[in-house]
Amino acid sequence: MIVAAWICLFAPLGAALAITLAGQRLGRRGAGFLATTGVGVSFVAAVVSFVGLLGDSPDDRSHPSTLWRWLTAGPYHFDLRILVDPLSIMMMLIVAGVGCLIVGYSIGYMDGDDEERRYFAYMALFVFSMLLLVQGGNLLMLLAGWGLVGLSSYLLIGFWHERPSAIAAAKKAFVMNAIGDATMALALFLVIQRTGSLDFEKVFSQAGSFGPWAANLIALGLLGGAVAKSAQLPLQTWLPDAMEGPTPVSALIHAATMVTAGVYLIVRTSPLFEAAPHVQELAAGLGAATILLAGLIALVQTDIKRVIAYSTMSQIGYMFLAAGLGAYANAMFHLMTHAFFKALLFMAAGIVIHALTGEQDLRKMGGLRPLMPLTFWAFLIGSLALAGMPPFSGFFSKDSILAAALANGGWYGYLLWAAGMVGTFLTGLYAFRMLFMAFWGEPSAFVREHLHHLEGGLVGWTLAVPVGVLAVLAAVGGFLQFAGIWTPVSNWLDPVAPSLVDASGMQEAVSSIVAVLLGLAGIGVAWWIYGARRASAPRPLVLLERKFWFDEVYDALFYRPAVLLSQGLLNGVERPLVFGSVGELAGSVRDLGLGARRLQTGLVRTYALAIAASLAVVTVVFVVVR
Amino acid sequence: MNGPTVVWYLCVAAFLFFTGALGVLIRRSPLIVLLSLELMLNGSNLALIAFARFHGRGDGQIFALTVMAVAASEVVVGLGLIVAMARRNLDLDVDKLRTLRG
Repeated sequence: MIVAAWICLFAPLGAALAITLAGQRLGRRGAGFLATTGVGVSFVAAVVSFVGLLGDSPDDRSHPSTLWRWLTAGPYHFDLRILVDPLSIMMMLIVAGVGCLIVGYSIGYMDGDDEERRYFAYMALFVFSMLLLVQGGNLLMLLAGWGLVGLSSYLLIGFWHERPSAIAAAKKAFVMNAIGDATMALALFLVIQRTGSLDFEKVFSQAGSFGPWAANLIALGLLGGAVAKSAQLPLQTWLPDAMEGPTPVSALIHAATMVTAGVYLIVRTSPLFEAAPHVQELAAGLGAATILLAGLIALVQTDIKRVIAYSTMSQIGYMFLAAGLGAYANAMFHLMTHAFFKALLFMAAGIVIHALTGEQDLRKMGGLRPLMPLTFWAFLIGSLALAGMPPFSGFFSKDSILAAALANGGWYGYLLWAAGMVGTFLTGLYAFRMLFMAFWGEPSAFVREHLHHLEGGLVGWTLAVPVGVLAVLAAVGGFLQFAGIWTPVSNWLDPVAPSLVDASGMQEAVSSIVAVLLGLAGIGVAWWIYGARRASAPRPLVLLERKFWFDEVYDALFYRPAVLLSQGLLNGVERPLVFGSVGELAGSVRDLGLGARRLQTGLVRTYALAIAASLAVVTVVFVVVR
Repeated sequence: MNGPTVVWYLCVAAFLFFTGALGVLIRRSPLIVLLSLELMLNGSNLALIAFARFHGRGDGQIFALTVMAVAASEVVVGLGLIVAMARRNLDLDVDKLRTLRG
């Protein structure tokens, strides 16, 4: 079982290295198949580990494994160590499973691109990094994976490196994530200082004895990392821009796996967060704020991928809300169903974009339903799951989160519950606005002109099969857990992160009914405006179109002062002091040389006279001084 | 011991040396400069030998022999240079030979 876990970790890395080293010797499609195989092996190994873990008793399902000692620094040492436990197995299955589907989909999607091999090497590297993150057996391995997923995300967002906007988006994502990495590293330093170790069990067993200051700072640092990686307020601005990358990248990294790493982090380090309850409440609050903000912005976006990106932020907001309330199993359950339906939405959108020769503007689409019926059904299933309509997967996971907020109680719990409820209305509205704009009505002029049907054969199949599998998962994945009656996910995760809140059946029922009604209301409004076109669409608010001016505020707060400061230092310090001193030094040496050159006339008799005169002087000095 | 004392020898040596030095300083022909150099060397040789006799020891004479050998080799090089310059129709004037380019 442990061997399978190690294979799971290293298979994608092997695929990435093989593609890199083989270079031109590997065909373009070969690279895609190799990457898919690597990730597929990883998934099979994850299943084997899962089955092995099922055989253990629930209290004995935590299996660390150390390969070798990685770092030693004074009294501290850190091992190359993985931990196989219910939580990491769940993430491994999601990452490798969804990853395998999406890498396979990429074979068709990237077909004919110039640099397919580089793409697939990056993809496999990403899956390895993500597996390292979730399998890491101590906080240092987790941080290493954390940094590596940031790197592969950067590489893949900027994959089309001839587009300046893609390069800018990649840099933005990297810088925003680096802020989180830094706060996380600071938190880990504090953990080392307090406990002398980064191994999960040692750290967590001492979590209660940090003292309030250290506990709060550690939790805040970890929360900073989680917020940056998961694109929550206030570090959310990079995710929409990250849609510059290829669509499968958006599906895998910026929807299904990497952006949910923040949720995984909170659940994994839940003892540290429970030691700092106010920080945990802050996480829930940030999640709720992100639900509303991203849901509102998604209403006015016109780029199909950006709408889905904002819905991702909003859905991760729900997971943060749950994790912040201590409803860890609910957060992880929503993480899983979200991975299914959001990857499905992205990949269906990818097929639409592919069929429309790269066009992503919703306003140019329309009337695609009769032209692409299967894609429409996939999109519809994804949207229904996203909006939380029964019996699709989002219904079960999202409503259990809302019930947890209600069960938490207090003014804060009710506030979060209300925010989540407004969020469900917004979700229904923006999801079906997108659906109706793209698929309803008469085919637009642009569609009639540009639509080309996807070729059959290999490309068509690699696009269709993963979408089909995900459509099935998004439709039925929710039945894995039915609150109150059938709770395998909660039971499974209970030994790692026992939930702090337990919703009663009444609360579940109330939340579900209200959420479904609000979601239906959102869908109804969307149908009224965009489906039936009974009312004209309201003019989008400037506030929303400018995304609450976050980019502008950050630009004014951080970028411009930094530019001003560096310009000032350049003009005030560097030019006069550094450049000046070096220039002066060189100048004076040159002047000295010029002066000395004048002595060397080439006139032999002058030299002779100089020698004679010097000798005379020396003689006189000797005679007089003696 | 007969003959002039060491002072006379030294006077002659100084006269030769300064005549040579004057020649080096004021003459422009490289040939004359070389000649004057030889005069200077011989002046110092004379002083060396005079002192050697005065002290009754031989090391000054050996010095003088060495100086002669050095002078001979120097003349070989110097005359060779002058011949080479004459072949290239260069002005035989030390004031005009002030660059390293030939």
